[in-house]
Amino acid sequence: MKRVLLVLSLLSAAVIVLTACGPAATEPPAGTEVSTVTEAPATTAPAMPVVLKIANTANITTWDPVASFSTEASYLANVYEQLLRINPLGSAEQYTPLLAESWEVSDDGLSYTFHLRSGVKFHDGEPLNAEAVKKSIEAAADHAGASFIWLPLDSVEVVDDLTVKLNLTYAAPVDLIASSLYGAWIVSPKALDAAAADENFWSDGKSHGTGPYTVESYTPDAEIVFTRNEDYWGGWEDGQFDKVVVSIVPEAAVRVQMLEGGDVDLITAPPLDNLNIFESNPNFTVYREPSFFNYVGFFNTLRPPLDDVKVRQALSYAIPYDDIIAIGAQGLGTQSFGPVPAGVFPWDGSVFQYKYDLEKAKELLKEAGHEGGGFDIRLTYAAENATEEAFAPLIKDSFAQIGVNVSIEPMAWSQQWELAKADPANAQDMFLLLYWPTYSDAGADNMWSMFYAGAEAPYLNVTKFNLSYWKNDQYNGLMDEAGALTATDYEGSKAKYVEAMKILIEEAPAVLFFDTMDVFIVPKHIEGFKYNLNYPFVRYFFYELRAAK
Amino acid sequence: MRLLDFILRRSFTALFVLVGVSLITFFLSRVIPSDAAALYIGPKARTEDIERVRKQLGLDKPLPVQYAVYMGELLHGDLGNSISTKRPVTQELAERLPATLELLFMGIFIAVLIGVPLGVLSARRQGSPLDVVVRTISIVGVSMPAFYLGLLMQIAFFRNLDVLPLAGRVDSDLRFVSPIQSITNFLLFDSLVTLNWVAFKDVFLHLILPAFTLAAYPIGLIARMTRAAMLEVLGQDYIRTARAYGIQQWVITYMYTLKNAISPTLTVIGLTVAYALTGTFFVEVIFNWPGLGLFTVRSLLNVDYPAIMGVTLFGAGGYVLINMIVDLMQAWIDPRIRLK
Repeated sequence: MKRVLLVLSLLSAAVIVLTACGPAATEPPAGTEVSTVTEAPATTAPAMPVVLKIANTANITTWDPVASFSTEASYLANVYEQLLRINPLGSAEQYTPLLAESWEVSDDGLSYTFHLRSGVKFHDGEPLNAEAVKKSIEAAADHAGASFIWLPLDSVEVVDDLTVKLNLTYAAPVDLIASSLYGAWIVSPKALDAAAADENFWSDGKSHGTGPYTVESYTPDAEIVFTRNEDYWGGWEDGQFDKVVVSIVPEAAVRVQMLEGGDVDLITAPPLDNLNIFESNPNFTVYREPSFFNYVGFFNTLRPPLDDVKVRQALSYAIPYDDIIAIGAQGLGTQSFGPVPAGVFPWDGSVFQYKYDLEKAKELLKEAGHEGGGFDIRLTYAAENATEEAFAPLIKDSFAQIGVNVSIEPMAWSQQWELAKADPANAQDMFLLLYWPTYSDAGADNMWSMFYAGAEAPYLNVTKFNLSYWKNDQYNGLMDEAGALTATDYEGSKAKYVEAMKILIEEAPAVLFFDTMDVFIVPKHIEGFKYNLNYPFVRYFFYELRAAK
Repeated sequence: MRLLDFILRRSFTALFVLVGVSLITFFLSRVIPSDAAALYIGPKARTEDIERVRKQLGLDKPLPVQYAVYMGELLHGDLGNSISTKRPVTQELAERLPATLELLFMGIFIAVLIGVPLGVLSARRQGSPLDVVVRTISIVGVSMPAFYLGLLMQIAFFRNLDVLPLAGRVDSDLRFVSPIQSITNFLLFDSLVTLNWVAFKDVFLHLILPAFTLAAYPIGLIARMTRAAMLEVLGQDYIRTARAYGIQQWVITYMYTLKNAISPTLTVIGLTVAYALTGTFFVEVIFNWPGLGLFTVRSLLNVDYPAIMGVTLFGAGGYVLINMIVDLMQAWIDPRIRLK
């Protein structure tokens, strides 16, 4: 016992002494805000770099820029670059040239020639040239997480050292594809070879891109440190950050406190119920921006009574859109115009929107021979999705008022999808889905993936997202025409898509609920934040940000 | 000889416990409605890709076969690869263990340092206002959920008083000012032996809130247990005799009473170490502590089977081991129960 006591008292004495000593030691600039750190600490410690600190939720599922198809894009997009970056709709230029300085498309839309930026080097020293681009795009088309974006690709031709030509099997907008967030990053050929030889090549944060930042260190689940690529082709200006320290913080309450307390400069995924704290704080600006995502509810059009267009229209009128946005998305959304999210090609604000109108709904049900309702709807949603969980009961309440009984079934996403892809006769009546286009062409993605009918009943196409099992030949025809035109006649293509949308909305194979919005809280000491909805998983391009003077 | 016998016997039962745990965890984690292959490949994968991954991960085989394969690899010390990080689970555990252990040791240290004296004081002055205060503290400590207490402490000491850091193991500026040379990845130790005082202070300050949050429950438990055991011993004849001899009060309390009362407390401490190992899970989430807890929570959310199995087996192994150590220590302290 004496021994135990002795050890205990010695230890506690040591702790007390050491704590007492602590403050006497040279003080680090603890808790100093990044922007104000301009002078080096008084000690001989290395000069403090200008650091940007971010608390991010995004995990890294892979460091492989080819395989990447998930949240790590938030980091990889600062290390790797595409040929082009697409700007938000309404920008002066549709694209910002990155690794390609210019490009042209053949009259038939079947080949694209890209002229590459000269003098660009990958982080590993390899030069960027036509061979490298060819290798990257071929790797992406072969085994990228999002390899399907390259489906139209036939071959990649090296014309000369800095010119590369992409030949297609059918006309497609390669400029949109080449600016895709996933499957379009240009990666050093040396790394692609190494990765082909060693499947664990990418397992810890490596940098083999051309982007403005490289990964300095990576501690899984905890921290990623980026350091700037001094040789970046875009050059560097005053105020841009030397280092970016990303802390991975899954807990929302902690992220908010870190931002408020000045521990970090930026956070991702702010909890919506805390926004008012920041809105009333003059040191922060809160941005609410349209996003890439929208909510859709597919009707099972193969099963009565939902095979009757009047019933589907009636139910579309019985959706309390405003309440759904207010409750499901805490007000952060706008009712959809068609299946294309606002701000993405070929969105159009002139198409029809169903408004909440129970009288009209009852009338349509009566016309369809279902006066007073009297049928059941089985609604499924992804249990992981808190928004769907919040708004599904509103649909049930509202449908009850027109005599339609809804049973709500939350399911794991994959189960929900399995059920829907099996026999439609036993499937759900209504399927809630959060959707987003893989690259910035919601004609080729949203409108095609979700509503283009495959050849045979139940008309699932290759993406298997046509979960209304809806087939409309006129719609399919217009979609074919529109898709073929996108490369060569942008406006003409959009007109065809809008025509197709009108048929879709009239036929109401699905409820088009709302487009979501993204929220960003940016402190006044960070400048240069520009939101680009085309890259929804990136959140912040570090290179664009500056510390305020 | 009897000691060796005891250890062997206990190790043998421990093996059964671990096999049982592995069976339950393995099958439970696979019957929950979720699709690891779909999670592995990401949200917009095509069906064919999901099927390809399912084969690649061996998830297309019958469950008993999967279990046999898993146990076979386990015998070679291989816990498989994590589905979400794609790295070996053993490596993931090893990298995070020091952070958790550092927090755990600090928490238990605080709990013993505070809990035992509180229990002693309370027993000495049974029925006094001090006793009431101590008993209240122990009840609050035992009943307050760690995540709630953690949040309250963050609000008080970070947001309102701004005296302690909010979360994490070190300040993210530290790497630029006075980086810690990693030796054991026990940061307190590493910064101490490299005489890096700036880092030591930073690490220490970061440890205070999570360690206290973790210690709250054990403090209550230890104080109550010590009090009860002390009261029992204080009522014994030989204590009365010691008093009659006029032996100094502190000698009676600490040399005679506490020594004999410590045995049940030791059991409680052993159990709380095991409890605190799981308690760190909540604390780590609240304080964004990059240890096993945060890893476990993420693994559960991602239905990362190999990681869940790894953590559970590790936790169960730790529990069994700590219990064994406590039993041995009790035998060492109390000759009456020496390895019956």
